[in-house]
Amino acid sequence: MNRLLTVLRCTVAATLLVTISGCKTAVSAKPIGPTFAIQPPLGLPPLSIPPENPPTVASIALGRALFYDVRLSNDNSISCATCHNPVLNFTDGNKVSHGFGGHVGVRNAPPIVNAAYLRLQFWDGRAASLEEQAAFPISNPVEMNQSHDISVAKLAKDPEYAALFNKTFGPGGVTLQRIENALASFERTVLSGDSAFDRYLFRGERDALTPSQIRGFRIFIDTKRGNCSTCHTVNDTYALLTDGKAHNIGVGAGDAGAFSDMGRYPQTKADADRGAFMTPSLRDVARTAPYMHDGSLKTLKDVVDFYAGGGNSNPYLDKEIRTIVLSAQDRQDLVAFLESLNGTPPANVGPPKTVR
Amino acid sequence: MKLQRFAVPSLLAVMSLLGCKLAEKSASPAATPIQPAVQYFKVDEAHVGTIKGTIRFAGKKPVAKLIDMSEDPACVEAHKGKAYDESLVVSRDGSVANAFVYIEKGFEGKTFEAPTTPVMIDQRGCWFRPRVMGIQTGQPLQVVNSDPVTHNIHPMGTVNREWNHSQGPGDEPILRKFPKTEVMIPVKCNIHSWMHTFIGAVDNPYFAVSGDDGSFTLPKLPPGTYTLAVWQEKLGTLKQQIEVTEGHDSVASITYKGQ
Repeated sequence: MNRLLTVLRCTVAATLLVTISGCKTAVSAKPIGPTFAIQPPLGLPPLSIPPENPPTVASIALGRALFYDVRLSNDNSISCATCHNPVLNFTDGNKVSHGFGGHVGVRNAPPIVNAAYLRLQFWDGRAASLEEQAAFPISNPVEMNQSHDISVAKLAKDPEYAALFNKTFGPGGVTLQRIENALASFERTVLSGDSAFDRYLFRGERDALTPSQIRGFRIFIDTKRGNCSTCHTVNDTYALLTDGKAHNIGVGAGDAGAFSDMGRYPQTKADADRGAFMTPSLRDVARTAPYMHDGSLKTLKDVVDFYAGGGNSNPYLDKEIRTIVLSAQDRQDLVAFLESLNGTPPANVGPPKTVR
Repeated sequence: MKLQRFAVPSLLAVMSLLGCKLAEKSASPAATPIQPAVQYFKVDEAHVGTIKGTIRFAGKKPVAKLIDMSEDPACVEAHKGKAYDESLVVSRDGSVANAFVYIEKGFEGKTFEAPTTPVMIDQRGCWFRPRVMGIQTGQPLQVVNSDPVTHNIHPMGTVNREWNHSQGPGDEPILRKFPKTEVMIPVKCNIHSWMHTFIGAVDNPYFAVSGDDGSFTLPKLPPGTYTLAVWQEKLGTLKQQIEVTEGHDSVASITYKGQ
């Protein structure tokens, strides 16, 4: 009987080991070779990079290839770039995204531009890093609809990919963690700064903005007027134009506190997060219509009017949302200012010459 | 052997826990008292009368003030022509338009079923249409934006919940209800300061808004004695007792005294 028990104990221990190694693969997913120093453009702070995934020239190139590779989807029709299209500033221009088999999602595709600076990813902040984020859309049934095992197997079948993975991370071939790390490193290079606004504020080029844009900027940062920068933050030496937090501004609010989308609430179960969504950065905002998590606002003017009216009342409305008295000129100035946030498009982030 | 001994009691424990949960669940429906079905009051339409009336103002006819929409040039264009203040509209002969008339008392203990047909507010030409409206408690209110600009409708109820909601060009209609009697609920647009309307929420279907000739009609009333109340934005509220008899028109002539 004792022997049986020992056998059982061993089996349990082995099963546990297998389970653990299944989650965290024994194969290293840390890129090998010299780290590539990503230089953020004017207006952006230094990047914070996880020590276990330092970007290298090879990992960035591999991530770029994966980003544009349709093989990460069930029917080889959708890549990351389908909804994060570089031509549309890494969005899809749709109200909400269209995924596998014509499925329609529930949220507006956020640009991946400057996502490297976000502590929490997705509209609801459900991923804590770019690495963690990368895997979600691949297996989401209404997005790319492909299990991670199949993605790994499909890529591993391609000898060129297998070689690229080995070159980037060392022996071990294709793993999910390596796919995530490469995609994250590529995304860390998709940065937008050096806008007219940045040249005005951080380089002191007084004529970089028009008088209307300067008036708009003053309204933007005035807590008694636009009060925009309370959430779309501007610091002394850089401007992320997001506080990286979730707020309820009333978009999607129905009668008596009902919401079409509960936003961050399922993640935190905090009442204040009912109908709350992560503040998007406003960089390149004039290039990323339509707006809000549900794409319900078509133009920047609509957005300014939405805030001017005090959003939509509901029991969880953020205390910073209130009616703002803005003249037509003020609103025009705000829109003009938002247009000054269009950055210099980053280099080497389009589809690679040979998609492999 | 040890393993088995451990497994059996724990399985039992799990089962008994489940048993508890199941028992609780099956017991819960009996614990909630069954709400008695609401008995709606049905009007016997074979035996009804009508209140007809007119509303007049004996004071000096106000001069209509021009509304300045220049704050939003898109509104100036959308309104198509001049806009005048409608807070007191009196015709040449003293007839008062946009007065809200309703039965305030006389239906105690009676519950009327709310209609499912919505009452409409249109935001057109940066103007609420109509200026004054009645709605039965529980009846849907449907808010439409026909304008090329965003509006933010804001009914400022004190008995009913206060709310505001943004509505962009081409957005879906907003549907809301007012569960409690409240005369009147002032409504504004949070974006366009000149936009105003008023909603009278009443728990019976006997309400009307006077026309340009100051007239109103409350048909199909059960015979009885009622308190008829009239509200006008600038002139305030007047009340009077009125007797309704079967097959007859009871006439109410209501005059606001002016200075």
